[in-house]
Amino acid sequence: MPLGGNSWVKKNAWAAALVFAGVLPIAGLEGGSPREPEVRAPGIARKADFRLEDLRLREAALKRQLAALAPTGRYIVVDTARSRLYVRRRGEVLLEAVASTGSGTILEDPDRPGTQWVFDTPRGEFTIQSKFMNPVWVKPKWAFLEEGLAVPADPAQRVEAGMLGDYALGFGNGYFIHGTLYTRLLGKNVTHGCVRLNDDDLRNVYRFADIGTPLMIF
Amino acid sequence: MRAGRRTDFSHPRLPANVNAGRILRLACWLTLLLATPGLAAERSPRGSPKGTDLEALREKNRVLEEEIKLASRPRVYWLLDLSEGIIAIKARGVELHRFPILAWRLAGEGSVTEGFRLRARPWVARPKATSGDEAAQELIELEDMPAEYELTFDPPITLFVAPSAHEGPWLWARSRLREWWTRVAAWTRSVVAPGKKTGGLRLHLTLSREAAQSLAWSSVEGMPLLIKDAQ
Repeated sequence: MPLGGNSWVKKNAWAAALVFAGVLPIAGLEGGSPREPEVRAPGIARKADFRLEDLRLREAALKRQLAALAPTGRYIVVDTARSRLYVRRRGEVLLEAVASTGSGTILEDPDRPGTQWVFDTPRGEFTIQSKFMNPVWVKPKWAFLEEGLAVPADPAQRVEAGMLGDYALGFGNGYFIHGTLYTRLLGKNVTHGCVRLNDDDLRNVYRFADIGTPLMIF
Repeated sequence: MRAGRRTDFSHPRLPANVNAGRILRLACWLTLLLATPGLAAERSPRGSPKGTDLEALREKNRVLEEEIKLASRPRVYWLLDLSEGIIAIKARGVELHRFPILAWRLAGEGSVTEGFRLRARPWVARPKATSGDEAAQELIELEDMPAEYELTFDPPITLFVAPSAHEGPWLWARSRLREWWTRVAAWTRSVVAPGKKTGGLRLHLTLSREAAQSLAWSSVEGMPLLIKDAQ
Protein backbone atom coordinates (compact mmCIF):
# COMPACT_ATOMS: atom_id res chain seq x y z
CA MET A 1 0.00 0.00 0.00
CA PRO A 2 1.68 3.22 -1.04
CA LEU A 3 1.89 5.90 1.59
CA GLY A 4 0.15 9.18 0.93
CA GLY A 5 -2.97 7.71 -0.62
CA ASN A 6 -6.07 9.83 -0.21
CA SER A 7 -8.05 7.21 1.69
CA TRP A 8 -5.10 6.55 3.94
CA VAL A 9 -4.85 10.21 4.89
CA LYS A 10 -8.55 10.27 5.77
CA LYS A 11 -8.19 7.10 7.83
CA ASN A 12 -5.32 8.44 9.86
CA ALA A 13 -6.20 12.09 10.06
CA TRP A 14 -7.74 11.61 13.50
CA ALA A 15 -4.51 10.24 14.85
CA ALA A 16 -2.50 13.23 13.64
CA ALA A 17 -5.17 15.59 14.95
CA LEU A 18 -5.01 13.85 18.31
CA VAL A 19 -1.28 14.42 18.52
CA PHE A 20 -1.55 18.10 17.65
CA ALA A 21 -4.63 18.71 19.76
CA GLY A 22 -3.42 16.64 22.68
CA VAL A 23 0.32 16.97 23.00
CA LEU A 24 0.87 20.60 22.29
CA PRO A 25 -1.62 22.22 24.64
CA ILE A 26 -0.89 19.74 27.45
CA ALA A 27 2.83 20.21 27.02
CA GLY A 28 2.34 23.93 27.28
CA LEU A 29 0.19 23.66 30.35
CA GLU A 30 2.36 21.27 32.27
CA GLY A 31 5.28 23.40 33.23
CA GLY A 32 3.21 26.28 34.44
CA SER A 33 3.98 29.71 33.23
CA PRO A 34 6.91 31.52 34.74
CA ARG A 35 5.79 34.15 37.17
CA GLU A 36 5.17 37.61 35.90
CA PRO A 37 8.12 39.94 36.51
CA GLU A 38 7.38 42.40 39.26
CA VAL A 39 6.57 45.86 37.96
CA ARG A 40 7.62 48.61 40.31
CA ALA A 41 6.33 52.10 40.26
CA PRO A 42 9.02 54.66 41.17
CA GLY A 43 7.39 55.44 44.52
CA ILE A 44 7.26 51.81 45.54
CA ALA A 45 10.88 51.13 44.64
CA ARG A 46 12.30 52.55 47.82
CA LYS A 47 9.82 50.55 49.93
CA ALA A 48 10.72 47.36 48.07
CA ASP A 49 14.42 48.01 48.57
CA PHE A 50 13.73 48.49 52.25
CA ARG A 51 11.91 45.13 52.29
CA LEU A 52 14.84 43.59 50.44
CA GLU A 53 17.22 44.79 53.12
CA ASP A 54 14.93 43.37 55.82
CA LEU A 55 14.84 40.05 54.07
CA ARG A 56 18.62 40.00 53.73
CA LEU A 57 19.03 40.66 57.44
CA ARG A 58 16.48 37.96 58.19
CA GLU A 59 18.33 35.55 55.90
CA ALA A 60 21.63 36.18 57.65
CA ALA A 61 20.00 35.66 61.05
CA LEU A 62 18.37 32.41 59.94
CA LYS A 63 21.65 31.14 58.49
CA ARG A 64 23.36 31.83 61.80
CA GLN A 65 20.55 30.04 63.63
CA LEU A 66 20.88 27.00 61.35
CA ALA A 67 24.66 26.95 61.64
CA ALA A 68 24.30 26.96 65.43
CA LEU A 69 22.45 23.63 65.22
CA ALA A 70 25.41 21.88 63.55
CA PRO A 71 27.71 19.83 65.80
CA THR A 72 30.42 22.03 67.24
CA GLY A 73 32.93 19.26 67.79
CA ARG A 74 33.76 16.07 65.94
CA TYR A 75 30.99 13.97 64.45
CA ILE A 76 30.82 10.73 62.52
CA VAL A 77 29.07 10.27 59.18
CA VAL A 78 28.40 6.82 57.70
CA ASP A 79 27.51 6.59 54.01
CA THR A 80 25.99 3.11 53.77
CA ALA A 81 25.51 3.30 49.99
CA ARG A 82 29.22 3.78 49.36
CA SER A 83 30.41 1.93 52.50
CA ARG A 84 32.38 4.84 53.92
CA LEU A 85 32.79 6.27 57.39
CA TYR A 86 33.97 9.83 57.93
CA VAL A 87 35.02 11.67 61.04
CA ARG A 88 34.40 15.37 60.49
CA ARG A 89 34.80 18.58 62.39
CA ARG A 90 32.86 21.47 60.85
CA GLY A 91 33.69 21.23 57.14
CA GLU A 92 36.93 19.36 57.66
CA VAL A 93 37.26 15.59 57.11
CA LEU A 94 39.57 14.20 59.79
CA LEU A 95 39.27 10.57 58.75
CA GLU A 96 37.85 8.65 55.81
CA ALA A 97 37.55 4.89 56.22
CA VAL A 98 36.23 1.99 54.18
CA ALA A 99 33.46 0.32 56.17
CA SER A 100 31.04 -2.56 55.96
CA THR A 101 27.38 -2.00 56.75
CA GLY A 102 24.11 -3.94 56.81
CA SER A 103 23.44 -6.56 54.16
CA GLY A 104 19.73 -5.81 53.89
CA THR A 105 18.95 -9.52 54.05
CA ILE A 106 16.18 -11.05 56.13
CA LEU A 107 16.06 -14.06 58.43
CA GLU A 108 12.83 -15.71 59.52
CA ASP A 109 12.42 -16.75 63.13
CA PRO A 110 11.36 -20.42 63.01
CA ASP A 111 10.02 -20.24 66.57
CA ARG A 112 7.75 -17.31 65.81
CA PRO A 113 6.25 -17.55 62.34
CA GLY A 114 5.73 -14.20 60.69
CA THR A 115 8.55 -12.51 62.57
CA GLN A 116 11.87 -11.81 60.96
CA TRP A 117 15.15 -9.97 61.40
CA VAL A 118 16.06 -7.36 58.79
CA PHE A 119 19.81 -6.83 58.68
CA ASP A 120 19.89 -3.13 57.84
CA THR A 121 22.14 -0.50 59.34
CA PRO A 122 19.69 1.97 60.86
CA ARG A 123 19.56 5.37 59.12
CA GLY A 124 19.22 8.60 61.01
CA GLU A 125 21.02 10.59 63.65
CA PHE A 126 22.42 8.85 66.71
CA THR A 127 25.05 9.48 69.37
CA ILE A 128 27.89 7.34 70.64
CA GLN A 129 26.46 5.87 73.82
CA SER A 130 29.21 3.51 74.94
CA LYS A 131 32.89 2.75 74.32
CA PHE A 132 34.59 -0.57 75.01
CA MET A 133 38.11 -1.91 74.76
CA ASN A 134 38.60 -5.60 73.94
CA PRO A 135 34.86 -6.16 73.54
CA VAL A 136 33.33 -9.61 73.52
CA TRP A 137 30.39 -10.55 71.38
CA VAL A 138 27.32 -11.87 73.15
CA LYS A 139 25.85 -13.77 70.24
CA PRO A 140 22.18 -13.03 69.68
CA LYS A 141 19.63 -15.65 68.72
CA TRP A 142 19.85 -14.93 65.01
CA ALA A 143 23.58 -15.70 64.98
CA PHE A 144 22.88 -19.27 66.08
CA LEU A 145 19.93 -19.65 63.72
CA GLU A 146 22.02 -18.39 60.84
CA GLU A 147 24.67 -21.00 61.60
CA GLY A 148 22.06 -23.70 61.92
CA LEU A 149 22.89 -24.24 65.60
CA ALA A 150 20.67 -24.59 68.63
CA VAL A 151 20.46 -21.53 70.86
CA PRO A 152 22.34 -22.44 74.10
CA ALA A 153 20.45 -22.18 77.36
CA ASP A 154 23.58 -21.10 79.21
CA PRO A 155 24.29 -17.38 78.55
CA ALA A 156 28.03 -18.01 79.02
CA GLN A 157 27.99 -20.12 75.87
CA ARG A 158 26.87 -17.11 73.88
CA VAL A 159 30.03 -15.13 74.57
CA GLU A 160 32.64 -15.04 71.84
CA ALA A 161 35.90 -13.10 72.24
CA GLY A 162 38.03 -11.61 69.48
CA MET A 163 35.24 -11.24 66.91
CA LEU A 164 34.72 -7.47 67.28
CA GLY A 165 38.32 -6.27 67.17
CA ASP A 166 40.04 -4.19 69.82
CA TYR A 167 37.34 -1.56 70.30
CA ALA A 168 33.58 -1.12 70.01
CA LEU A 169 31.45 2.01 70.07
CA GLY A 170 27.76 1.48 70.75
CA PHE A 171 25.12 3.74 69.22
CA GLY A 172 21.95 2.15 70.62
CA ASN A 173 19.69 -0.86 70.17
CA GLY A 174 22.64 -3.26 70.11
CA TYR A 175 24.34 -1.61 67.13
CA PHE A 176 28.10 -0.97 67.28
CA ILE A 177 30.99 0.37 65.29
CA HIS A 178 33.55 -2.40 65.71
CA GLY A 179 36.40 -4.30 64.08
CA THR A 180 36.35 -7.43 61.98
CA LEU A 181 38.28 -10.59 61.21
CA TYR A 182 36.99 -10.45 57.62
CA THR A 183 38.85 -7.40 56.34
CA ARG A 184 38.53 -8.62 52.74
CA LEU A 185 34.81 -7.87 53.00
CA LEU A 186 35.29 -4.23 53.95
CA GLY A 187 33.57 -1.99 51.42
CA LYS A 188 30.71 -4.48 51.02
CA ASN A 189 27.31 -4.59 52.67
CA VAL A 190 27.72 -7.79 54.64
CA THR A 191 26.96 -7.04 58.29
CA HIS A 192 23.89 -7.62 60.40
CA GLY A 193 23.51 -3.87 60.93
CA CYS A 194 26.72 -2.93 62.74
CA VAL A 195 29.44 -0.83 61.11
CA ARG A 196 32.75 -2.64 60.68
CA LEU A 197 36.17 -1.05 60.21
CA ASN A 198 39.74 -2.26 59.93
CA ASP A 199 41.95 -2.15 63.05
CA ASP A 200 43.74 1.13 62.27
CA ASP A 201 40.61 3.07 61.37
CA LEU A 202 38.78 1.65 64.37
CA ARG A 203 41.58 2.79 66.69
CA ASN A 204 41.37 6.32 65.24
CA VAL A 205 37.58 6.48 65.47
CA TYR A 206 37.80 5.28 69.08
CA ARG A 207 40.31 8.03 69.78
CA PHE A 208 38.30 10.76 68.01
CA ALA A 209 34.87 9.89 69.40
CA ASP A 210 33.59 10.49 72.90
CA ILE A 211 30.34 9.49 74.55
CA GLY A 212 27.78 11.86 73.03
CA THR A 213 29.60 12.31 69.71
CA PRO A 214 26.92 12.65 67.01
CA LEU A 215 26.68 9.87 64.44
CA MET A 216 24.77 10.48 61.21
CA ILE A 217 23.96 7.48 59.06
CA PHE A 218 22.40 7.67 55.60
CA MET B 1 0.06 -6.17 -4.34
CA ARG B 2 0.78 -9.69 -3.14
CA ALA B 3 1.88 -10.26 0.40
CA GLY B 4 5.62 -10.41 0.97
CA ARG B 5 6.54 -9.66 -2.64
CA ARG B 6 9.24 -7.10 -3.14
CA THR B 7 9.91 -5.77 -6.54
CA ASP B 8 12.33 -2.93 -5.88
CA PHE B 9 15.28 -3.77 -3.68
CA SER B 10 16.84 -0.35 -3.83
CA HIS B 11 13.71 1.23 -2.35
CA PRO B 12 12.36 -1.40 0.00
CA ARG B 13 8.74 -1.07 1.02
CA LEU B 14 6.87 -2.53 3.91
CA PRO B 15 5.32 -5.90 3.17
CA ALA B 16 1.67 -5.48 2.33
CA ASN B 17 0.55 -7.56 5.29
CA VAL B 18 1.99 -4.91 7.62
CA ASN B 19 -0.53 -2.14 7.71
CA ALA B 20 1.37 1.15 7.51
CA GLY B 21 -1.65 3.02 8.83
CA ARG B 22 -1.75 0.82 11.88
CA ILE B 23 1.93 1.46 12.53
CA LEU B 24 1.43 5.19 12.22
CA ARG B 25 -1.54 5.09 14.55
CA LEU B 26 0.51 3.14 17.07
CA ALA B 27 3.35 5.63 16.74
CA CYS B 28 0.92 8.50 17.30
CA TRP B 29 -0.48 6.84 20.39
CA LEU B 30 2.99 6.21 21.76
CA THR B 31 4.01 9.79 21.08
CA LEU B 32 0.89 11.04 22.80
CA LEU B 33 1.38 8.70 25.70
CA LEU B 34 4.95 9.64 26.36
CA ALA B 35 4.69 13.31 25.58
CA THR B 36 1.55 14.00 27.57
CA PRO B 37 3.28 14.80 30.86
CA GLY B 38 4.88 17.69 29.07
CA LEU B 39 8.17 17.13 27.31
CA ALA B 40 8.38 20.74 26.38
CA ALA B 41 8.07 21.91 29.95
CA GLU B 42 11.02 20.03 31.41
CA ARG B 43 13.44 22.43 33.03
CA SER B 44 17.08 21.98 33.65
CA PRO B 45 18.32 23.61 36.84
CA ARG B 46 20.34 26.22 34.99
CA GLY B 47 17.38 27.07 32.79
CA SER B 48 15.07 27.72 35.70
CA PRO B 49 13.13 30.92 35.51
CA LYS B 50 14.40 33.53 37.93
CA GLY B 51 11.98 35.84 39.63
CA THR B 52 12.76 38.99 41.48
CA ASP B 53 15.32 39.20 44.26
CA LEU B 54 12.47 39.80 46.66
CA GLU B 55 10.71 36.57 45.77
CA ALA B 56 13.95 34.61 45.80
CA LEU B 57 14.84 35.94 49.24
CA ARG B 58 11.37 35.22 50.59
CA GLU B 59 11.68 31.65 49.36
CA LYS B 60 15.19 31.31 50.80
CA ASN B 61 13.98 32.51 54.18
CA ARG B 62 10.93 30.27 54.14
CA VAL B 63 13.13 27.24 53.48
CA LEU B 64 15.62 28.30 56.14
CA GLU B 65 12.81 28.64 58.68
CA GLU B 66 11.50 25.19 57.81
CA GLU B 67 14.98 23.70 57.85
CA ILE B 68 15.69 25.09 61.31
CA LYS B 69 12.61 23.22 62.54
CA LEU B 70 13.86 19.98 60.99
CA ALA B 71 17.49 20.45 62.00
CA SER B 72 16.65 21.13 65.61
CA ARG B 73 15.78 17.44 66.12
CA PRO B 74 17.99 14.39 65.54
CA ARG B 75 17.01 13.17 62.09
CA VAL B 76 18.20 12.96 58.52
CA TYR B 77 16.21 14.84 55.90
CA TRP B 78 16.24 15.70 52.21
CA LEU B 79 16.46 19.23 50.89
CA LEU B 80 15.42 19.45 47.27
CA ASP B 81 16.69 22.74 45.86
CA LEU B 82 15.09 23.33 42.48
CA SER B 83 16.83 26.65 41.93
CA GLU B 84 20.31 25.17 42.43
CA GLY B 85 19.37 21.81 40.93
CA ILE B 86 20.51 19.62 43.80
CA ILE B 87 19.13 17.13 46.29
CA ALA B 88 20.99 17.27 49.58
CA ILE B 89 20.88 14.69 52.35
CA LYS B 90 21.20 16.69 55.56
CA ALA B 91 21.13 16.41 59.32
CA ARG B 92 21.46 19.26 61.84
CA GLY B 93 21.84 21.63 58.89
CA VAL B 94 24.99 19.78 57.81
CA GLU B 95 25.13 18.51 54.26
CA LEU B 96 26.01 14.80 54.28
CA HIS B 97 25.75 14.14 50.56
CA ARG B 98 24.37 15.76 47.43
CA PHE B 99 23.13 14.64 44.01
CA PRO B 100 22.73 16.90 41.00
CA ILE B 101 19.30 17.10 39.35
CA LEU B 102 19.66 16.87 35.57
CA ALA B 103 16.14 18.13 34.86
CA TRP B 104 12.88 18.56 36.68
CA ARG B 105 9.25 19.32 36.02
CA LEU B 106 6.57 20.29 38.50
CA ALA B 107 2.87 19.83 37.78
CA GLY B 108 -0.43 19.27 39.51
CA GLU B 109 -2.24 21.00 42.31
CA GLY B 110 -0.75 22.02 45.61
CA SER B 111 2.10 23.95 47.09
CA VAL B 112 5.71 23.08 47.78
CA THR B 113 5.78 25.37 50.78
CA GLU B 114 4.96 22.59 53.19
CA GLY B 115 7.08 19.99 54.89
CA PHE B 116 6.56 16.55 53.40
CA ARG B 117 7.03 13.08 54.87
CA LEU B 118 7.82 9.96 52.89
CA ARG B 119 5.07 7.35 53.07
CA ALA B 120 7.14 4.33 52.06
CA ARG B 121 10.55 3.65 50.61
CA PRO B 122 10.77 2.02 47.17
CA TRP B 123 10.34 -1.70 47.22
CA VAL B 124 13.42 -3.85 46.87
CA ALA B 125 13.66 -7.64 46.86
CA ARG B 126 15.47 -8.69 50.04
CA PRO B 127 17.39 -11.95 49.84
CA LYS B 128 17.12 -14.38 52.72
CA ALA B 129 20.13 -14.77 54.97
CA THR B 130 21.74 -18.16 54.75
CA SER B 131 24.28 -19.87 56.92
CA GLY B 132 27.88 -20.21 55.89
CA ASP B 133 30.40 -17.94 54.21
CA GLU B 134 29.39 -14.26 54.35
CA ALA B 135 31.15 -13.52 51.07
CA ALA B 136 29.01 -16.07 49.25
CA GLN B 137 25.76 -14.60 50.53
CA GLU B 138 23.40 -12.72 48.32
CA LEU B 139 23.38 -9.09 49.45
CA ILE B 140 21.65 -5.87 48.60
CA GLU B 141 23.97 -3.36 47.04
CA LEU B 142 23.46 0.06 45.53
CA GLU B 143 23.13 -1.48 42.05
CA ASP B 144 20.17 -3.51 43.27
CA MET B 145 18.18 -0.40 44.08
CA PRO B 146 15.62 0.76 41.52
CA ALA B 147 16.63 3.63 39.22
CA GLU B 148 13.05 4.37 38.19
CA TYR B 149 10.41 4.68 40.88
CA GLU B 150 7.98 7.00 42.58
CA LEU B 151 8.08 8.35 46.11
CA THR B 152 4.81 9.40 47.67
CA PHE B 153 4.68 11.89 50.50
CA ASP B 154 2.20 13.41 52.93
CA PRO B 155 0.76 15.97 52.26
CA PRO B 156 0.36 14.57 48.76
CA ILE B 157 3.24 15.05 46.43
CA THR B 158 4.69 12.35 44.21
CA LEU B 159 8.28 12.35 43.09
CA PHE B 160 8.79 10.48 39.83
CA VAL B 161 12.47 9.60 39.70
CA ALA B 162 14.10 8.29 36.54
CA PRO B 163 17.44 8.39 34.77
CA SER B 164 17.76 10.47 31.61
CA ALA B 165 16.43 9.13 28.30
CA HIS B 166 20.04 8.89 27.16
CA GLU B 167 21.15 6.79 30.15
CA GLY B 168 18.11 4.55 30.42
CA PRO B 169 15.60 4.97 27.57
CA TRP B 170 13.37 2.14 28.77
CA LEU B 171 13.31 3.40 32.36
CA TRP B 172 12.66 6.95 31.15
CA ALA B 173 9.71 5.75 29.05
CA ARG B 174 8.40 3.68 31.95
CA SER B 175 8.54 6.72 34.20
CA ARG B 176 6.52 8.73 31.67
CA LEU B 177 4.01 5.94 31.49
CA ARG B 178 3.84 5.77 35.27
CA GLU B 179 3.21 9.51 35.52
CA TRP B 180 0.65 9.40 32.74
CA TRP B 181 -1.16 6.62 34.55
CA THR B 182 -1.14 8.59 37.80
CA ARG B 183 -2.67 11.55 35.99
CA VAL B 184 -5.35 9.39 34.40
CA ALA B 185 -6.16 7.86 37.80
CA ALA B 186 -6.36 11.32 39.40
CA TRP B 187 -8.55 12.59 36.59
CA THR B 188 -10.84 9.56 36.90
CA ARG B 189 -11.12 10.12 40.64
CA SER B 190 -11.99 13.76 40.09
CA VAL B 191 -14.75 12.76 37.66
CA VAL B 192 -16.16 10.00 39.87
CA ALA B 193 -15.93 12.01 43.09
CA PRO B 194 -15.72 15.70 42.15
CA GLY B 195 -15.49 16.92 45.74
CA LYS B 196 -12.45 14.84 46.63
CA LYS B 197 -8.88 16.04 46.30
CA THR B 198 -6.80 14.83 43.37
CA GLY B 199 -3.33 13.34 43.58
CA GLY B 200 -1.62 16.61 44.54
CA LEU B 201 1.69 17.76 43.13
CA ARG B 202 3.83 15.74 40.75
CA LEU B 203 7.54 16.40 40.59
CA HIS B 204 9.42 14.58 37.88
CA LEU B 205 13.15 14.36 38.59
CA THR B 206 15.73 13.27 36.06
CA LEU B 207 18.87 12.08 37.83
CA SER B 208 21.86 10.04 36.85
CA ARG B 209 21.24 6.33 37.36
CA GLU B 210 23.66 6.24 40.31
CA ALA B 211 22.02 9.28 41.93
CA ALA B 212 18.56 7.77 41.47
CA GLN B 213 19.69 4.55 43.12
CA SER B 214 21.44 6.45 45.91
CA LEU B 215 18.31 8.45 46.60
CA ALA B 216 16.26 5.25 46.85
CA TRP B 217 18.94 3.76 49.11
CA SER B 218 18.90 6.71 51.49
CA SER B 219 15.12 6.78 51.80
CA VAL B 220 13.54 5.88 55.12
CA GLU B 221 9.86 5.70 55.91
CA GLY B 222 8.71 9.00 57.37
CA MET B 223 11.77 10.86 56.09
CA PRO B 224 11.13 14.59 55.88
CA LEU B 225 11.48 16.43 52.59
CA LEU B 226 11.82 20.14 52.13
CA ILE B 227 11.52 21.70 48.67
CA LYS B 228 13.03 25.01 47.72
CA ASP B 229 11.14 26.32 44.74
CA ALA B 230 12.89 27.90 41.76
CA GLN B 231 12.13 31.60 41.71
